[in-house]
Amino acid sequence: MKKTMLVIISMLSLTLALNAQKIKGSDTVLPLSQKEAESYMKANPSGRVTVTGGGSGVGISALVDGTADIAQSSRRIKFMEKHKIKESGKTLREVIVAYDALAIVIHPSNPISNMTREQLEDIFTGKITNWKQVGGSDLKIVAYSRETSSGTYEFFKKSVLKDKNYVTGIMSLPATGAIIQSIGQTKGAIGYVGVAYLNPSVKPVSVSYDAGKTFIAPTIENARNKTYPVVRPLYYYYTKSDAKIKKYIDFVLSPAGQKLVAEMGYVKAN
Amino acid sequence: MNRKISQQIAFTLFRIFGLLVVVILFSILGFIVVNGIQVINWEFLTTAPKDGMTTGGIFPAIVGTFYLIVGSLLIAFPLGVMSAVYTNEYAGRGWIVKIIRMMTNNLAGIPSIVFGLFGMALFVNKLGFGDSILAGSLTLSVLVLPLIIRTTEEALKAVPDSFRTGSLALGATKLQTIRKVVLPTALPNIITGLILSVGRISGETAPILFTVAAYFLPHLPTSLYDQVMALPYHLYALATSGTDIEASRPMAYGTALVLIGIVLIMNLIASFIRRRLERKWKRN
Amino acid sequence: MIKNKFFKRLIEKGVEAMLTLSGAVTSIIILFMCIFLFVEGFGLFKSSTVEEGYSIYVNSENPVSELSPQELKQIFDSEVTNWKEFGGKDQAIRVYRFDEIFKTYPEEEMGEDFSILPIVLGDVVRENEGIVAFLPTDFAPEANNGIKMIPADQISFSDFFLGEEWLPTATPSPLFGLMPLLLGTLLVSLLAISIALPLGLGVAIYLSELADERTRRFMKPVIELLAGIPSVVYGFFGLVVLAPIIQKTFNLPVGETALTGGVILAIMALPTIISIAEDAMRNTPREMREASLALGATKWQTIYKVIIPYSKSGISAAVVLGIGRAIGETMAVLMVTGNGAMIPGSVFDSVRTIPATIAAELGEAPFSGPHYQSLFLLGCVLFVITMVISVASEVISKKQNYKH
Repeated sequence: MKKTMLVIISMLSLTLALNAQKIKGSDTVLPLSQKEAESYMKANPSGRVTVTGGGSGVGISALVDGTADIAQSSRRIKFMEKHKIKESGKTLREVIVAYDALAIVIHPSNPISNMTREQLEDIFTGKITNWKQVGGSDLKIVAYSRETSSGTYEFFKKSVLKDKNYVTGIMSLPATGAIIQSIGQTKGAIGYVGVAYLNPSVKPVSVSYDAGKTFIAPTIENARNKTYPVVRPLYYYYTKSDAKIKKYIDFVLSPAGQKLVAEMGYVKAN
Repeated sequence: MNRKISQQIAFTLFRIFGLLVVVILFSILGFIVVNGIQVINWEFLTTAPKDGMTTGGIFPAIVGTFYLIVGSLLIAFPLGVMSAVYTNEYAGRGWIVKIIRMMTNNLAGIPSIVFGLFGMALFVNKLGFGDSILAGSLTLSVLVLPLIIRTTEEALKAVPDSFRTGSLALGATKLQTIRKVVLPTALPNIITGLILSVGRISGETAPILFTVAAYFLPHLPTSLYDQVMALPYHLYALATSGTDIEASRPMAYGTALVLIGIVLIMNLIASFIRRRLERKWKRN
Repeated sequence: MIKNKFFKRLIEKGVEAMLTLSGAVTSIIILFMCIFLFVEGFGLFKSSTVEEGYSIYVNSENPVSELSPQELKQIFDSEVTNWKEFGGKDQAIRVYRFDEIFKTYPEEEMGEDFSILPIVLGDVVRENEGIVAFLPTDFAPEANNGIKMIPADQISFSDFFLGEEWLPTATPSPLFGLMPLLLGTLLVSLLAISIALPLGLGVAIYLSELADERTRRFMKPVIELLAGIPSVVYGFFGLVVLAPIIQKTFNLPVGETALTGGVILAIMALPTIISIAEDAMRNTPREMREASLALGATKWQTIYKVIIPYSKSGISAAVVLGIGRAIGETMAVLMVTGNGAMIPGSVFDSVRTIPATIAAELGEAPFSGPHYQSLFLLGCVLFVITMVISVASEVISKKQNYKH
């Protein structure tokens, strides 16, 4: 008797579970999706959206095997991933929900305020190890990175390190919040975080991508007018043209949804 | 004289050590309590996180942890008690029981992250449960099984043999003896073990990371195949991610306090029951 | 009546069978764990050293025909820029990544199912003598007339067990070297035990020999509570409070060090050590203490000449179990040691432990890829270590029992 009840209950609940839209992927997009989902559900009490992290790559592979409805990604889908989705007979849809500027941050007591891409590359690949080599005080550089295979890690590697590998044994922290925390309490620290995460406990530096001619500060305005170089789009990928998914994505792209994007410290997509 | 001095020094040192342990505990507890108590109120305990996890509460995480506790105990408790009954009442003292005990001890020594790996490989992927309450509960139940077996075995051992022989002499079968005499006598001790397992389950993060935990899920789960938020993972998420780490810090302290509160209350209840029982045994 | 009795016996037999089965449940689980961890983990040794689905191509004029994973890393990191270093011609290395093709030819021009892609890629490789190209195997040009594929080996045991670099997502050749992780784990655990052992032993002596009943009744639950605090709370405490303290005290550039992890783990291992060591000491027969005291020894002499030697194996078991607890601890370590994957040179270096690596990377590793498998292999290493530890502690505490 009990068993049949259990079976019935779990079957019932299985059908219910199918109604929730599952967003999975990048930890960078996670807080944004979380907030969007929160207000989406406030506006549509019947809507159900669950948000989980795991990294961009995980989100996209969850899309391939059908365990997620939307993959949130902080990097463009790779050619081979796209190929895999195509092979599984699904059509990939891509939408840019926001732009994220990546700020290079250091400890507030550090006098440095400008850095070139080349200097950053040398720091993160381990060729420069002391702040005096880039015009600062005699202090050991402690470089923090995100965990391997997060979209942020790969974007930074591509954009700043020009695809070279990070120095072996770089301090790597599981999430951006932890990086802010650690840089705030470490004098010689340097790291990279989304502009949305900036707070007074760390100091952002201006970055030059033209070998020191112009240094651009990481601000929302500079990211909007495309002068700041370290900017990446944040994507939603999905395969089903389901009405519910569309409704949610429309909400994210609507003025109300984009207002949240700006409030969170990201750059609006449109 | 010299001997006395070295004794003095050693003993003073040990007293300091003893004091140090107490200080460590209270500084950790104090740190969490002082910072956490400010955010704990009715709203914090009964609403979902809001504004990018900087305000609101942790209700879904509390409920999620509750589901995981119930789910894993539903599996592990009967299994653990039966396993203990077998080893203690049936198996005798042969090599089989030695192997079983050794395996139980070994299982208890395996790190929780390995349980996470195992749960991910077997329940999430192989059996296809996905990230779900079902997979998480199964993983946690495997983790907590040795604890239940061990405490139950101890409880069964504490039942005097005269109870068993008496019952058997009256013509009861072995199973009847176990059901009517041994288990009821051992029950309070078994319950103590159960309560300790609740504390253990509610505090584990590593096994649920890849089997059930969700970063954000404002609705309560409706099925066994849903993901849930859980207190320990929520604390980990609050402490390391989120856009505004300063603003979510108080939430992290509050979550830590609730989590510690649950675990400590469970431990206190368990040791209270145990102490009362000890006194009762002494009186008899 | 007889039928009823028969029925009862049947039930009884059934229940007994069920009990027997559940008695074996832990053994079954361990067996399952072995199977799943090892099958998944050893899959790594079937993977190729080059990223899955990709191969390395060079121009056939190039005399170099073999490149190790380390050499590939040096080339793609621009550490080596001339072929003569690997026995080739005196010629600059031109690193070519697959994505570059879309800079010269837009994706839309590649035709249905990218059928033109292999042709244009082939041209690129043929035209550049110094090229080393990292291309997806599905779209790679055929390896003849002017194009040579560099064969990829399978990842070997020594690549994993003796490897000194952990770069699981490096392209083109991910490096899965166990050494930095294993040494990091051992360093943190040894630090933890060398802090926790004297402290724990002292407290155990205090509790079993010196403290009065009231103190004991206060201390015991305190220590139990210490054991009950979830590890993620310890991690949070370590991250926010302990790391800055360590950084200031030792005037270090960073607070997230092996030492920070060691201290947190020491606190976490304390309850295990204290309770086991105390049990062992309390088991010392009263006659032995009294004999020693009667011979004129002081209390302290009795403790270190009689009680400690007597409970030696119990104390060793405590140490072993304490190390076991420290080696397997995940969340607290993940939050406080900085997770730098290098072979640690001092206790003030950042370390990345095996459990922390699994926890940090498993969620992001693509299912059943080499990275995923390597993490399961790390799980196997951890599993074997803790198994050895459990068995060792059992053997040691058996010794204690024989003495009785």
